[in-house]
Amino acid sequence: MENEYPLPQPTPFTESFWDACQQELLQVWRCKVCGHPFLPGGPVCPECWSDDLEMQPVSGRGEVFSFVVYHRTYHPAIPAPYIVASIELENGVHLISNIIDCKPEMVRIGMQVQVAFKQKSGFKLPMFTPTVHTNTTFQLKRGNSSV
Amino acid sequence: MNREALIAGVGHSPFGKLTGRTALDLEVEAAIKAIADAGLSPQDVDGLVTDPGPAQGILNGITPHYLALGQLLGLNPRYTGSEILGGAGSVAIIQRAVMAVEAGLCSVCLCVYGDAPLSAKGSFDYARGDEAAFGLFGAAGLHALAAKRHMHLWGTTENQFGEVAIAARAHAARNPNAQLQKPLTMKEYREAGYIVEPLKKADCCLISDGAAAVVVTSADRAADLLKPHTRILGYGQAHNFGTYSSPDHFDSLPAARCGPEVLNKAGLAPSDIDVVQLYDCFTIVVLMQLEAYGFCAKGEAGSFVEHGRIGPGGSLPVNTSGGLLAEAYGGGMLHVIEAVRQLRGEAEDRQIQGAETALISGHGLGMNTHTTLVLGV
Repeated sequence: MENEYPLPQPTPFTESFWDACQQELLQVWRCKVCGHPFLPGGPVCPECWSDDLEMQPVSGRGEVFSFVVYHRTYHPAIPAPYIVASIELENGVHLISNIIDCKPEMVRIGMQVQVAFKQKSGFKLPMFTPTVHTNTTFQLKRGNSSV
Repeated sequence: MNREALIAGVGHSPFGKLTGRTALDLEVEAAIKAIADAGLSPQDVDGLVTDPGPAQGILNGITPHYLALGQLLGLNPRYTGSEILGGAGSVAIIQRAVMAVEAGLCSVCLCVYGDAPLSAKGSFDYARGDEAAFGLFGAAGLHALAAKRHMHLWGTTENQFGEVAIAARAHAARNPNAQLQKPLTMKEYREAGYIVEPLKKADCCLISDGAAAVVVTSADRAADLLKPHTRILGYGQAHNFGTYSSPDHFDSLPAARCGPEVLNKAGLAPSDIDVVQLYDCFTIVVLMQLEAYGFCAKGEAGSFVEHGRIGPGGSLPVNTSGGLLAEAYGGGMLHVIEAVRQLRGEAEDRQIQGAETALISGHGLGMNTHTTLVLGV
C-alpha cells in the first residue's frame, strides 16, 4: 500500500477535470458570465460568483512559471530527484505538475512545455515535457495548412 | 477605567526533542510560567485563547484544543477559542486577546501556543490536496517555488538566502535557549545540500517540541504588576486565499497589504522599528517580508541582507533570538516573547540598546495567512 501513488481524490467539484484527464484531455473551468478561467473547480466562479460555468478544453501548451527540484523523497512512490513546477497555461491559469523527460539542470523559468498524460497506478495525470523547436513546428503546420 | 490592553507576562517550556512530553503538558508549563512572570495567580485568568501547532490540529479527538488545555488548567473562562492560521496563529490569538480585553469580555487572557511534532513524525510533510500526485509535499516545496521566482525576477542568489540563515545562527549563538548555538559559515551553508532546490538545509526552520505563552491584560488590571508593561501599538491581518492556480501566488505575500497599513495607523515608519521579529519558516520568507513591510524596496532584499546587515550588530538586526531557523520552532509565539524581552531590557547578551518599538509577523499555511503586531514600551 505504501508504494501506491498518492492519486488525486476527486470531489464533486474536481471530478470532471480528472475524468477529462483519463480521456487525455486537459480542460479548465470557465465562467460563462465574466469569462474567468480557473482551477480547481468549485460551485461558482471565484471572480463573480456566477454558477453558469463550463469546462473548456485547452491546448496543453504552456510555460514554466516556477520550478523546484525535490532532493528528498517524501513518498516512496515518488522517489527523488523529481521536478515540481507551476505551469502557466496559455489562458493564464496555473497548474502544479511535474516536468518529465528533462534533466533538472536543463529546466528554466519561461521554458515552453506541452502536456503529456502519464499513467500512475491506473490513473492518468497531466504532466509536462519540454516543447522542442516550438516555432519550427508552428511554422511547418501553418505551411502545410496553406497548401 | 483604562481597558487598553497590554502584555504583562511571558513564559515558555524548553524547546527541542522532549521525549515523553506531550503538547498539552508543555502548554501547561508555559502557561504557569507566563502567569508567574506577570505576577498573577491562576484565579485571575478569565480568558484562554490557543494556537495548537500543526501536529496537534485544532481537535484532539473530538475535544477542541482550548477545552482540552482549559480543563487541565482548571479554568472556567469568560472568553475562549482556538485559531487555525498556521504560522500566523500565535500573533492572531494575541490580537484576539487584545480585542477581548478591550471589549471587556475578559480581563486576564492567556494566549498559548504548543506542539510536540517530534513525537508525531512526518506531521510537517503532509501534501496539500491533489498536488500530492505531483509530489508537492511539505512546506519546503511551496516556499522553494517562491524562492525560485524571487531569483528569476530579481536576480536573488542562493548565497543571499544563506546570509539570512547565517544571521539567524549568529543571533542564536547569543541565546542560551536556542537549539542551534553554533555559528554557520557560508561554506557550511553551501555544502549542506538541497532539501528542495533552491532551498538548502539551513534555509528551512527547525522542528521542535515546546510551548510558549503570553498574558494579555488591561492597563488597569496591570497597574500593580511586577514587570514593565508592553504596550500594543497596532495590529492587523491580511490573507491570500488564492490557490496555486492564481497567477501571482508565489510572487507576493499578503503582508504587503496589512504591514504598511498597521505601521501607518501606529504613526510609525519602518525605520522607527527597533526590534524586527519576522516569521522565518524559510529564509525566502524573511526576504519577501523585508520588502513587504518596506524595510527595503521590492526586489532588493537579496542585496539588503548582505554584509551582516540583519545579524547581531547590523543596522537592522532581525530575529535576535535566532527565530524559527535557529532558536526553535515556536509557532511564532517565541518571536513575540523575544520582542517583549527586548522592550523590557531583559535580552541580556543580545539586547538592542534603547529598544522602544517592535514589529512581529506571522505567516502561515500555503502562503495564505499573515498577521502583524506592533509593540512598544
